[in-house]
Amino acid sequence: MELFDTVHVALERAIQGSAVRQQALAENIANVNTPGYRRQDVDFHTQLQSAMAGGPEALASTSFAPQVDDSSPMRPDGNSVDIDAESANLAQNALEYEALAQVLRTRTDIIEIAIGSR
Amino acid sequence: MSLFGAIDISGSGLSAERLRMDVTAENLANAQSTRGADGQPYRRKEVVLRQAAGGFDGALNTAMGQAAAGSTPARGVEVVEIAEDQAPNRMVYDPGHPDANADGYVSMPNVDPVTEMVDLIAASRAYEANVTAMQTAKSMFTKTLDLLK
Repeated sequence: MELFDTVHVALERAIQGSAVRQQALAENIANVNTPGYRRQDVDFHTQLQSAMAGGPEALASTSFAPQVDDSSPMRPDGNSVDIDAESANLAQNALEYEALAQVLRTRTDIIEIAIGSR
Repeated sequence: MSLFGAIDISGSGLSAERLRMDVTAENLANAQSTRGADGQPYRRKEVVLRQAAGGFDGALNTAMGQAAAGSTPARGVEVVEIAEDQAPNRMVYDPGHPDANADGYVSMPNVDPVTEMVDLIAASRAYEANVTAMQTAKSMFTKTLDLLK
């Protein structure tokens, strides 16, 4: 067994994806009053799911970028940010990030115990 | 690093919303000012916002060919200008006023206090939303630092 298996790499990528999503959501909230601004989001779950099949190499090379979300309804000023939805997304993303970080921490602890460094 | 980018973005939102509050306060304070700096009645001012371009980070990343995912530059929001509202001034009948015209009408600023109050509430709520986003990014970053303990 490798020291850092597929799950470990996937956790690391998921944390990265969640961080990029946090930035996209912060951008949406900062532009809540900008006329013509279209909201953006990062769908890192779908990307990770398809990369999981390819093993650690495919996962490690996965990168995330915000995509403009054209499906959300626009306000009369051309802005598609719904502040309530964004706040909910933000809270959800933060919880997910903390959960991922906690799992990664626990897995690292297990490895440290196994190699006898504590 | 993405999370610092999130904090920068929220920071740009805070500055923009605070400027909107400042301008709204100036509009309210001058709602009755019939003589501005140019001798004309005060004109209502409005902040024009737009999504910020990449800035230094964005320019550097593009130049180094690293504009791809994972290194998305902090952007946020920026103020384009503080524009004057082009709506006509309110004409108020007040023959005793020193600035009244021959018919007894005074040209008052085109400021509607109700509009200003609504703008003020909107800016205040948006400011709070940006503070929440910044706090969330901060707690996420703290959680990452916990990984090193």
